[in-house]
Amino acid sequence: MAEIEFERRLERLFSDAPAFSDESAFAARVEHRLNRGWNMRRWFIGAAGVAGGVVGASQLIMSNFVQRVEDASAGSSRLLQAGIAQARPGMDLFAMVQSDWTVVWIASGLAVLAMGFVLTRVIEEI
Amino acid sequence: MSGSQQLRYASLHDVELATLSATGERRAFGELVRRHGSAVRGLLRRMGAASAEADDTAQDAFLAAFESITEFRGEGTFAAWVKRIAARQYLKRLQRERRLASLALEAEEGTQTAHHPDAAGRIDLDEAMKCLGAAERLCVTMCYGAGLSHAEAADALNLPLGTVKSHVKRGLEKLRTRLAPEGAELEGRRGNG
Repeated sequence: MAEIEFERRLERLFSDAPAFSDESAFAARVEHRLNRGWNMRRWFIGAAGVAGGVVGASQLIMSNFVQRVEDASAGSSRLLQAGIAQARPGMDLFAMVQSDWTVVWIASGLAVLAMGFVLTRVIEEI
Repeated sequence: MSGSQQLRYASLHDVELATLSATGERRAFGELVRRHGSAVRGLLRRMGAASAEADDTAQDAFLAAFESITEFRGEGTFAAWVKRIAARQYLKRLQRERRLASLALEAEEGTQTAHHPDAAGRIDLDEAMKCLGAAERLCVTMCYGAGLSHAEAADALNLPLGTVKSHVKRGLEKLRTRLAPEGAELEGRRGNG
């Protein structure tokens, strides 16, 4: 019985934390290391996202993506134009869209950004 | 950190702070460090770490605790959980520096003349711990300070269970003879305060 009481007392003595004069400084050092680690992680994730985006963009270019988009866009524009021509004769939508392919490039760029963002989020979640 | 946010964190329970920390809220974890930093540093010093080493290990332990904060489910206290992490971190450090084997096998007496009793002949835990050998000190602190079972301590120290039990038993006997009667340390502290 005395043994158990002594053990309990010892546990109480151990749980009585000594006071340190630099408690706040210690906590600040730990927080600083946490923040530094977090910032490094964010840089790493950002770099991984950019790398993923570049790889995705290069894959799209290699797979002749632009040509396919152009073909698909032209086809759908023709269909749309045909429909509009029936409804409102004289309006040339096909010429309007075809005149500026920068729209396609902008769309591709946005798609790459979106891919990078999604990849970044996925890595963060993991 | 803004004052109002600090006040908000200060009013939260450890479990709530741990939940916030699990969502990546590092300032909530900072509050946990403020609350329990001293306990962890004190534990490591009682295990035998020098002050700088204890602080480094305590920092590493808190970082490790943040990384695995989702494993803390509030079944025990946060302090107990992080102390266990710190004790294991310290042992890993000793192992890395190849000091653990020699410490764990050492069964020599500690510094017998190290204790400095107060006017009434009483000494506190930290003074009493100085009379223990390194292995006894490690085993007693791991079992009574970090809350590990004898088996867990044996596993962490890579020692046979019987050896750990012997170290603990010898350590307790020495502490019993040197510690003041219960209540005396409280009175002594009041007298000093």
